[in-house]
Amino acid sequence: MRLLPYGPRAVLAEFSDLAEVMSAAAAWRLAQLPGVVDVVPAAATVLVVHDGSLDTALLTEPSTSMAPPGGELVVVPVRYDGEDLAEIAAACHMSVDDVIALHSGTEYTSAFCGFIAGFGYLVGLDERLVIPRRATPRTRVPAGSVALASTFTGVYPVESPGGWSLLGHTDLAMWVEHRDPPATLPPGTRVRFQPT
Amino acid sequence: MIHVDSWGVAGSVQDAGRPGRAWLGAGRGGAVDLPSLALANRLVGNGESFAAFETSGGLTISLTKPTMVAVTGGVAHVTVEGGPPVGWGMPVVLPAGATMRVGRMLLGARVYVAVRGGVVNRGDAMHAGPDPQTGAATQPAARREPSTNVRIWPGPRLDWFDGDALLTLTSKPFLVTDTSRVGTRLRGGALHRVRHGELPSEGMVEGAMQVPPDGNPIVMLAGYPATGGYPVIAVVDPVDVHLVAQAPVGTELHFLPA
Repeated sequence: MRLLPYGPRAVLAEFSDLAEVMSAAAAWRLAQLPGVVDVVPAAATVLVVHDGSLDTALLTEPSTSMAPPGGELVVVPVRYDGEDLAEIAAACHMSVDDVIALHSGTEYTSAFCGFIAGFGYLVGLDERLVIPRRATPRTRVPAGSVALASTFTGVYPVESPGGWSLLGHTDLAMWVEHRDPPATLPPGTRVRFQPT
Repeated sequence: MIHVDSWGVAGSVQDAGRPGRAWLGAGRGGAVDLPSLALANRLVGNGESFAAFETSGGLTISLTKPTMVAVTGGVAHVTVEGGPPVGWGMPVVLPAGATMRVGRMLLGARVYVAVRGGVVNRGDAMHAGPDPQTGAATQPAARREPSTNVRIWPGPRLDWFDGDALLTLTSKPFLVTDTSRVGTRLRGGALHRVRHGELPSEGMVEGAMQVPPDGNPIVMLAGYPATGGYPVIAVVDPVDVHLVAQAPVGTELHFLPA
């Protein structure tokens, strides 16, 4: 872990892999360190935002043997009828049914949010389903689209542009403004997709 | 009811935003110039974080009830039909039927219009919220010309630039070429990358100065996305972010080491 300066009210911790990011973000959020306003995991970093009073010596690296605490399990009901289902199956050299079975047969963990409020990058995708982002992103991906790209899967919270391949659709809202937290899949959440 | 006849340039209703949601992918949001929002609210007796109008000129509102308003932030040409004039930094009660127009900006980049009770959006119409039961200001606020001297701290990716980068940032002025709620775009001395390749997206703060491949830095404001993929070379001191938010296109900003 490397701590990088980010002005008087933040510090950026850089890690060598996503697993370290996830365990540090979970541990530091759980610790409720004095002065901390936000703990923001990303692909290789954790940004700790504070009120200026944080003692950065408290940001210790969690031991690698410590399993990240299991978050709440959220089941996402999915209609597997996405526009790219046949293309995904072809790229992965398997049938559409196998794609659905693999995608819905795994438990995922929300590693971090980004891109759009409530968009969780879920890890745990079966390596046989790892395909690159689409060469040409769509200008409009419908809200609730369940998609995958690279080693991640996720759900588009609102209609937006996007370059992930579309597996299907869920009616489960990814952001509910007056709920705490408003995101359905905050970092640390365990996720299963349930075919409907 | 407060009828919005015209939203004008970048007109919207903003409160103090919601910090602490970057981990869910959401930036603070809210007013880009928080001290001006707070002042406008204090003048009419509101809590500092109440929702108010934010505009870069052209906002026109009509009132169906007598309503106390106050204008802060930048200076715009403000006209009132059917009521007394509204000056900068002074609470004024406008009668029912009055129409107030915030015209073009004369100084600064954004004006705040607070109404007593706060601006409440009830679906298709705006209303003033319940009376805050706190007295309005009895003295006008003094307006200070915002400084163009902005303090900066080294950013997490300063080492992606050559050894002169911080000196380049702090020795010559940078020109504001564009400003939106997301950020203020600048042009100045060349910032040379020594490290190339892509940076995985990482968390950002308000005031973070990102440098895209064209070398022209962008200072992130309240409407920023929670994460970003360009290297952050420096961070504007949180106390000075509002100075960047109020710098209109054409302003020369002088960055100083914090």
